Amino acid sequence: MNLAFRGYKDKGFTAIAYFCVLLLGFLLLVVLIPMTGRGLSAVLFRETVEFRRMQYAIFNRGNEERLRAQVARVEEARRPIYELLDSFARGIDTESQISRVRDIFRRFNEELRLQNVSDESYTELRGKARHIRDLLTEAYTSTDREEVSKLLDEVLAFAESPGLKGAAEQYFEMARSYSKTIKQMDLADRQRYAAQLSEVTEAIRDLFGPRPDEPMPPLAENQFGATRWDLVQRYLRRLLYSEQWVQTDPAKPMEKKLVCRTDPKQFGGTELEPLFGMVESSLDELFLPRLRIYWQYFIDDSTPGYFFGGVGPEIFGTLLLTVCAMAFAAPLGIVSAAYLVEFGGDSRIVRLIRTCINTLAGVPSIVFGLFGLAFYVMLIGRPCVLAASLTLGLLVLPVVICASEEAIRGVPQTYKEASLALGAGRFRTFATVTFPAALPGILTGIILSLSRAAGETAPILFTGAVFLGPIPNSLFDKTRALSYASYGIATGDKVGMTMPHQQYGVVMTLIALVLCLNLAAIAIRWRISRKLKGY
Amino acid sequence: MNSSQHIPKSRQDDSGQPHLKVQVYRSDESPDRRQSQGTGGNAASAVIHSEDFSFYYGDKAGVRGISMDIRPQAVTAIIGPSGCGKSTFLRCINRMNDLIPHTRAEGLLAVNGVNVYDRNVNLVNLRQQVGMVFQKPNPFAKSIYENVAYGPRLQGGRRRPDLNDWVEQCLRDAALWEEVKDDLHKSALALSGGQQQRLCIARTLATRPRVVLMDEPCSALDPVATAKIEDLIGELKQTYTIVIVTHNMQQAARVSEMTAFFCLGELIEYGRTSNIFTNPASKQTEDYITGRFG
Repeated sequence: MNLAFRGYKDKGFTAIAYFCVLLLGFLLLVVLIPMTGRGLSAVLFRETVEFRRMQYAIFNRGNEERLRAQVARVEEARRPIYELLDSFARGIDTESQISRVRDIFRRFNEELRLQNVSDESYTELRGKARHIRDLLTEAYTSTDREEVSKLLDEVLAFAESPGLKGAAEQYFEMARSYSKTIKQMDLADRQRYAAQLSEVTEAIRDLFGPRPDEPMPPLAENQFGATRWDLVQRYLRRLLYSEQWVQTDPAKPMEKKLVCRTDPKQFGGTELEPLFGMVESSLDELFLPRLRIYWQYFIDDSTPGYFFGGVGPEIFGTLLLTVCAMAFAAPLGIVSAAYLVEFGGDSRIVRLIRTCINTLAGVPSIVFGLFGLAFYVMLIGRPCVLAASLTLGLLVLPVVICASEEAIRGVPQTYKEASLALGAGRFRTFATVTFPAALPGILTGIILSLSRAAGETAPILFTGAVFLGPIPNSLFDKTRALSYASYGIATGDKVGMTMPHQQYGVVMTLIALVLCLNLAAIAIRWRISRKLKGY
Repeated sequence: MNSSQHIPKSRQDDSGQPHLKVQVYRSDESPDRRQSQGTGGNAASAVIHSEDFSFYYGDKAGVRGISMDIRPQAVTAIIGPSGCGKSTFLRCINRMNDLIPHTRAEGLLAVNGVNVYDRNVNLVNLRQQVGMVFQKPNPFAKSIYENVAYGPRLQGGRRRPDLNDWVEQCLRDAALWEEVKDDLHKSALALSGGQQQRLCIARTLATRPRVVLMDEPCSALDPVATAKIEDLIGELKQTYTIVIVTHNMQQAARVSEMTAFFCLGELIEYGRTSNIFTNPASKQTEDYITGRFG
């Protein structure tokens, strides 16, 4: 009975251990696989012609000839869509039409002044033009079809009158296309159409970028359409469906519902209806998608605000910060550990120091960040790489000390005795015997702190990290860093929403970087411990 | 203690040859005798001279009132049950016990006439004169060559060709040369246990010590390797003074000229090995040797 119970106890213990290990592995997979999977979408995706345009414009990458041909093809495919949109907008977007009418009147006046006409005819032509202007304005303002058509007829009556040339001819074109529009559309719905049309226009702009005849927007983020196939899909959805909040049950909160734009309540039966089908069916023609491995993500600079481009400066900054932090923390930590174990003895002061170090290891990182601001930044005079890496170094110092202490303590006493018995001093013994034997353990501590230093955000928040800026030239410049970039995108207003792959890409890069650093350190440790074991 | 009654009270005279006789000192010897022996003829012939030497771990005595002279160019074995202080005494001779905190020594323990617990003693010199081989083979995780060259390098100033010859000489002295001459730069940890122990001996010899202390050098080795080490000890005693601590009484009988029996931190009996093993003066010694000791 007793024996059987002991057996169950052993088995139970083993089972719990297995379960814990499996759970850990599972959690690791649950965290890592989606993160890297989504992060990979920053590197591996279907690019569109807009992406190629962006790459050429920002990074000067790609074949200009071929790009130009592609852009021409795409613009050809997009033209009917723009035309459809424009002609529909004429009936709806009265504001812009009225301002256009005024604009034409102004230009016509200028033309008249430049022409050598007599004062009489000048006054007469100007009066006519003003009259047409007022008629058109009234026509655009009115929602009564009868009245509008009467007004337009009046305008068109002037079409044959001599002298109304040049800019004035546009009046008649406007009047003709407007009279075509009012036949297809109920002017009473103008208000409703106007709001929806602006949604559609916005979606089209998101898809295709600025129109070729428009001036280039100043911000790079507005200069290009959907650069990736997933963005195309998302914007297309916004183009094809309207989001509406509907109350299905008074007891429940309102629900979001997607309404197709071809629905009669939307653009069903209007001139615009075919547009949606056109866009949806010719997406390939409109975007020329192609699979792309954007490995330059890891070296490219990003445009201000992380919209396009990669994380090159962030990777460099993170490496720089981590290496500097370790260059500060590792020697200091090892020497401190050596003192505590080998030379400090077991006095009360040493015990106090050890307690302090353990406490320091538990201090939140933001406290270190504030300390860095209050001490290093004040000392150096400005936030910079040096201040940030010293703060990071301080953060990981307790970890390094504790691990090194354990490693040095773990070196068999006989090793030290062998050296001491040969007449070596304590320092010599430590340097030539104890330290090499403890090195694998010390490296384990350094690996752990390396990952921590690379991933910390709070300590560099105030001490030297920036969102935007060049690659640092010296230790006294500020730098960008992966962890801080992730924080920046997450708290930023727009990028995280519109370009989620950038966020995941940054995080994946951080994971991969830490993994690479760890693998390198593990390889070094493996080699050393192999050597120590005498292979 | 009862045992003191069994100790023969044959006292040496200053001019005599103390190391040839059975030497037993009682712990309660008078201080005036001690003074007269300080630098006398006795100390001149004995490499290690201890008089009323005690060593304490905190309040607990590791060894108490040890007085003995150890002959040069001979093997002296120290035997005794576990915890009797034999290793403690051995490690006092080159002050390896310094590593342990809260210890102190009393009395006289001199090597070549110099008190090793004198405050001004040069530990480096002392340890180079008094080498030590440990219970478990403990070569450094370096090459065979580097292991042997470690001591000479500490002394410094040896040029490389010189050092090569010296390393070879030490390895030959330790009867290891033939086995390792082809791969001197292989890691010492790749050697077998017996080879490692001989390497440790070679490493100790490389600092040209006068005394070699061996702390149960064969306890971690198999009989074949043990036999090799014992042969080696037999050869080394031509040149070096060897003090060996061992649990193995056959080994003590085989390799040593003199044997000291320790019990509970005190020296019970010290004399020629043949005498100790055939005709022990003390009942305790006899019990221990014959295996009746608890």
